[in-house]
Amino acid sequence: MIRTSKQARREAKRLLGLCMVNGKLDEDRARQVVQVAIQSRRRGYLILLRHFHRLVKIECDRRTAEVESAVPLPFDLQARLRGGIEALYGSGLTTHFAHKPNLIGGMRIQVGNDVYDSSIRSGLSALAKSFGMTGSNGWKT
Amino acid sequence: MVDLLKEIEAQIESAKATTTAKQNVGVIREIGDGVARVEGLSDAMLNEMLDLGHGITGLALNLEETEVGVIILGDYTKLEEGDEVRTTGKLLQVPVGKGLLGRVVNTLGEPLDGRGPVNSDDAYPVEKIAPGVIRRRPVSQPVQTGIMAIDAMIPIGRGQRELIIGDRSTGKTTICIDTIISQARLNKEAEAAGDKSYRPLHCIYVAIGQKQSNIARIISVLESAGAMPYTIILASPASDSATNQYLAPFAGAAIGEWFMDHGMDALIIYDDLSKHAVAYRQVSLVLKRPSGREAYPGDVFYLHSRLLERAARVGEKYGNGSLTALPVIETQAGDVSAYIPTNVISITDGQIYLETDLFYQGMRPAISVGLSVSRVGSAAQLKAMKQVAGQLKGDLAQFRELAAFAQFGSELDPKTQAQIDRGKRIMEVFKQTQYSPIPVEVQVAVIWSVQNGYVDDIPVERIKEFQATLTEFLNTRKVELLRKIRQEKTLSAALTDELKAAANQFKETWK
Repeated sequence: MIRTSKQARREAKRLLGLCMVNGKLDEDRARQVVQVAIQSRRRGYLILLRHFHRLVKIECDRRTAEVESAVPLPFDLQARLRGGIEALYGSGLTTHFAHKPNLIGGMRIQVGNDVYDSSIRSGLSALAKSFGMTGSNGWKT
Repeated sequence: MVDLLKEIEAQIESAKATTTAKQNVGVIREIGDGVARVEGLSDAMLNEMLDLGHGITGLALNLEETEVGVIILGDYTKLEEGDEVRTTGKLLQVPVGKGLLGRVVNTLGEPLDGRGPVNSDDAYPVEKIAPGVIRRRPVSQPVQTGIMAIDAMIPIGRGQRELIIGDRSTGKTTICIDTIISQARLNKEAEAAGDKSYRPLHCIYVAIGQKQSNIARIISVLESAGAMPYTIILASPASDSATNQYLAPFAGAAIGEWFMDHGMDALIIYDDLSKHAVAYRQVSLVLKRPSGREAYPGDVFYLHSRLLERAARVGEKYGNGSLTALPVIETQAGDVSAYIPTNVISITDGQIYLETDLFYQGMRPAISVGLSVSRVGSAAQLKAMKQVAGQLKGDLAQFRELAAFAQFGSELDPKTQAQIDRGKRIMEVFKQTQYSPIPVEVQVAVIWSVQNGYVDDIPVERIKEFQATLTEFLNTRKVELLRKIRQEKTLSAALTDELKAAANQFKETWK
C-alpha cells in the first residue's frame, strides 16, 4: 500500500530497476509493470504510475539523441553523426534528426542532459550576453 | 603581422572550442517563491551558478536523484515551467576590492547607490572554507569601538567574533555604527599623521532583512560622519527575496576576506542574523528540506558557524590580515535561551548583551556588564586601558550586589556606601550619546580619574558635566599628555604623575 509520495517515488524507482536489463530499459517489462499496476488498483497506484512514467521518460531521454540542424542533413552525414554519438555514449541510442531553420546555421545535439550547441543562434545569444548583462536591479554590472 | 595572424588563429580556435563545448541542461519543472525545481542538470555541482535565461542566475542548492532545487537570484516571475536551465561551471562570486569602499551594493555586488558600475577587477566565491588552524594566529590587536563601556570592560580584538545581542530598540545597530565611525576617525587621523604603523580597519555593514528607511538613515549617518570612504554597505532589505537575504552575509564575508587575504584588516557587521536565519528557514521550507526545532532546518547551526568561522586573524606568512565579525541577534522579550541566540552565543568569542530595562533607565548604551563577556579580547586590550579598567568589572559586580541591599533602606557602613557611590559614578561615566565615539586616550584619562577618586566628591547628576569639561580640558590644554598615552599605550610612572598633575590642575578650576 502506498501512503505517501515518498513511498511512491521509492516504489517507482524499484520498479524501474526491475525493468532494466543490462543497463538498458526493457520496453516489454515496462509495459507489463504498467498493466499489472492498473489491474491491481492498489491504493496510490496512480501516483506510483506518474512517478514511474517520469522515471521512464528520463531514462528514454538519456538514451535518445536529438540532432537539430539549420539545413536537412544528407544521409551519409547522419550516419557519421550517429556513429560519433554512439562512440561517446555507447550503442543502443535512438537518434532523431530534425530540421530547425531558426538555428540560422550549424547544429545542436542533445543526449540526455548534455547539449553540444554550435548553432549560429546560440553564438549570437552568447555574444549579446557578453556585451553586458543587466543585473536584477536594472543596473549594468 | 605574424603576431596578428597567430592571434586571429588562437581566437578562432577558442571560438571553436566554446561553441561546441558540452553543456549540461535541465528543464524547469516547478517554480515559485524564488525557488525552482529543475529536472535534468545531471552534472550540476552544489552551489554552482546556473543560467536560467532572461539574464537570471540561480544557485543549485539541493541535488537530488533526478532533479535539482535551485534558488533564483533575480526576478523569478520572468521564468516559466519548461524553460531551459544551463550549468555554468562557476561558483557564485561577488566583486571584491577597494573599489567597493564608499559604495552601497546588493547581494550580488551590483551597485544600489546610482553612482555607476563598481570598480573591481577581482571576484571571490561567496561560499569559502574558513582559514584553518595553521593559517590563524591569536587575537592581539584591539578594535577601538570608541564606546567606553566596551573598550574598558568587553574589549574586542581584530579577528574576534563578538555578538551584539538584545531586544528590539536597545541600541544594537547604534553600537555598530559608532564602531564604524570610530574606525573612520582613527583611519583619518593615521592618514593625516602619516602613521605607517597604523593598520586601517575597513568596515563592511551587511543589512539583512532591514527596512529600507533604516538603511537609508544609516547611510546618511555614516556620510555625515565622513565614514563612508572606509565603509562598504551590502544591503539586502526586507523587500529583497529570501534567497538574497540568505546569501547577503556570505557575500559580505567574501568582500571582507579579500581585505584579510591582502594583508589588511576589515570589520564586518551582520545586522542581523536572526532575520538571516528566518530567510534561510523560508528557503529551506520551500525547498522541502526537513525542518527541525522552530521549523528551522537541521543545518541552521552550520549556516552560522561556517559564516562566523570565516572571521580570523591570519599569520604573517599568510598576509597578517584579519576579519573581525560583529554579528547582531535580536531577542524576543530578552530570551537569550531561544534557538538561534544560543547557537550564535556558542559560536562567537563573547557577547555584548543589551537590556531594555537599562535602556529605559537612561543607561545608554544599555550594556549589561554582568551578562556581557569578551573571551579573547583582553589579550588585545591596550595596556594603559587594562591598567585603569582592570578592576572595573569586579567593582561594578560588587556595586550591583550592594545596590540591591541598599534598596531595603538599611543602614550601611561607610565602606559599603563608598562602594555604592563609586559604582553609581562609574555607571554615569559609561553613559554615552550615540554617534560620538570617544578616543581611547581620553577614555583612559577619564577612567583613571574615576578610579583615583577625583569624582568621589562630585554629585552623581553632575558627573557627565564633569566628564565633558575634563575631556575638553585634556583636548585643549593637555594634548601632549593624550598623545603620549596614545603612543606609549601604557601608563608608566612618569605618565601617571603627569596625569595626576593634570587632574589636580583641572580639579582646582572645576566648580
